[in-house]
Amino acid sequence: MAQTEKYVLNMGPQHPSTHGVLQVQVELDGENIVGAKPVMGYLHRGIEKLMESRTYVQCVPFTDRLDYVSAMNNNLGFCMAVEKLAGIEVPERAEFIRVICAELNRIASHHVFIGSLTNDLGSATGMIYAFRDREKILDLFNIICGARMTAHYIRIGGVAADAQDEFLRDTQKFIDYVPEMLDEYNKLFSGNEIFQARMKKTSIITKEMALKFGMSGPNIRASGVDYDIRKIDKYGAYGKFDFDVPLGKRGDNWDRYMIRMKEIAESAKIIQQALDNMPEGPYMAKVPKVLRPPKGDAYHRVENTRGELGFYIVSDGSTKPYRVHIRRPSFVNLQALDTMCKGMLLADAVTAFATIDPLMGEVDC
Amino acid sequence: MWGKGLITGMKVTWGHWFGKKETVYYPEEKLPMTERFRGGHLAFDEEKCIGCKLCAIGCPNAALDLTVSVDENKKRHMESYIHQIGRCMYCDLCIEACPTKAITWDKNYEFASYFKEDMTYDALVEARNRRGNNE
Repeated sequence: MAQTEKYVLNMGPQHPSTHGVLQVQVELDGENIVGAKPVMGYLHRGIEKLMESRTYVQCVPFTDRLDYVSAMNNNLGFCMAVEKLAGIEVPERAEFIRVICAELNRIASHHVFIGSLTNDLGSATGMIYAFRDREKILDLFNIICGARMTAHYIRIGGVAADAQDEFLRDTQKFIDYVPEMLDEYNKLFSGNEIFQARMKKTSIITKEMALKFGMSGPNIRASGVDYDIRKIDKYGAYGKFDFDVPLGKRGDNWDRYMIRMKEIAESAKIIQQALDNMPEGPYMAKVPKVLRPPKGDAYHRVENTRGELGFYIVSDGSTKPYRVHIRRPSFVNLQALDTMCKGMLLADAVTAFATIDPLMGEVDC
Repeated sequence: MWGKGLITGMKVTWGHWFGKKETVYYPEEKLPMTERFRGGHLAFDEEKCIGCKLCAIGCPNAALDLTVSVDENKKRHMESYIHQIGRCMYCDLCIEACPTKAITWDKNYEFASYFKEDMTYDALVEARNRRGNNE
C-alpha cells in the first residue's frame, strides 16, 4: 500500500543559488515546503574576536570582509563608531566623499541582488547585464582607493586619500547613465511576464511579521514599514540631502525587488546632490598616530545595503578594543526564511532566498 | 497582451548584438591599472629604507618578516624583507606607515602560483635583481 512521508532535503552549502555557503535544511511534503531551517557557520572567521587583538586602525580592513559586496558601508559603520568613542570630528569634505562612496556601493550591491535574483530564476542573461553595470562602479573604486571590493577607503577620521577630479568626473558620468540603465532593467526583467509570475504574491511577509523578526533594510521597507536609518537617525552628511524612502505594500518578492530598483534611483539622487555641493577642505581629521579612545563604550548604526548595521565597541583605554560586537542585518533577516518558504513550492525557496539577499560573510561574521 | 514584456526584453538583447563590446580580449589585451592600485609584490627601495620596521608593526596580519642589522656607525641596514602574500590582505597600511616611502606596490596582478613556497618572497632580493638587470 502506498504511503507518504515528509523528508528533509539539504540545499547547500555548495548549491549555486545559496549565494555563498549557506545550508538550508528544507523539509518537504512532496514538492511543498513544510519548513526551512538555515544552518550557518561555514564562513565563520571570528572577526569580532580578531578585532580584540588588533589596534583600532588595523581593525578597519577586517570590516571589508563582513559584507564584502558593500565594503564601504561597513568601513563607514566601524569608523563612525570609533569616532564616536574617541570624539573625533570629521571634515565636511570627507563626509561628502563618504556619502558618495557608500551610495555607489549601495548601487553596486543592488546590482548583485538583481543579477543573482535573475540568475536564480533561470535567466543567466540578467546576471550579465547587472554585473556589467556593477563593473563600472568597481572601476570607480579602483580609481579612488586602488581596490575593487575590499575597499578599506573610509578610515577613522576621514578617508584614505582625496577624491581626484577623474573620480568625480567618472562618477558624474555614471550617474548620468543610471536612468538609462534602470530603463533597460525594466524592459528586461520588470516587464517580463514569467518574472512577474514568479515574483508577485509569493513569500509574503506582513508588516507585523517583519517587525517581529526585527528585520531591517529594504526587506522591512518592502513590507511597508518606514524604517531607514539615514532618515530616522541621520548620520554623517545624510541630513543635508533630499531623498525619498521607497516603501512597498504587500511585502512579497516583487516588492522586495522593486524597492531595490527604486533605491538605486534614490542613491543616484543623493550622489548627484553630493557632487554638486562638494565642499573644499581637508579629507582627514587630525587623528593621533596611536589612537587611545577613553574608557567607555559606543554604539553606532548605519543603513547598510542589507539593513541596520551596528557596531558596539567597548574600550578599556588601550590601543586595542576590549570587545567589538557587530549587529549584522543579514543574520537577523535570515530568520524570516522559514516563514517565507512555508507553503511554497521548492522552486520558490530559491526566489525567497534571493530576495532576502543575505550575504554569508556577514551572517557568519 | 501576455508576452509583450518578453518581446521587449528580447529586443534589448538583440540591440546589444550590434553594440560595442564591454569586455577585452585578455591576455592579448590588458587593462591598465590605476595609479592607486593595490596589488602584486612590494617594490622595495633599499636606499630610502631607514630600517624603522614601522611597516611590519602596522601590518594587521603580521605578513611582513624583517631582519635588520646595525653597523658600527649605528646605521640600520635591511638584511631581508620577507613578504608573505598568503597573509597579506592588501590594506595598504604598511605603505602608508612608511616615513620615507621606501615601499610601493609593483602593480602586477598576475602572480598566481601553483606552490605555496611561491607565496613568500624577499622584496630585498627582488629589488637587487631588478637593479642588476637595469645596470
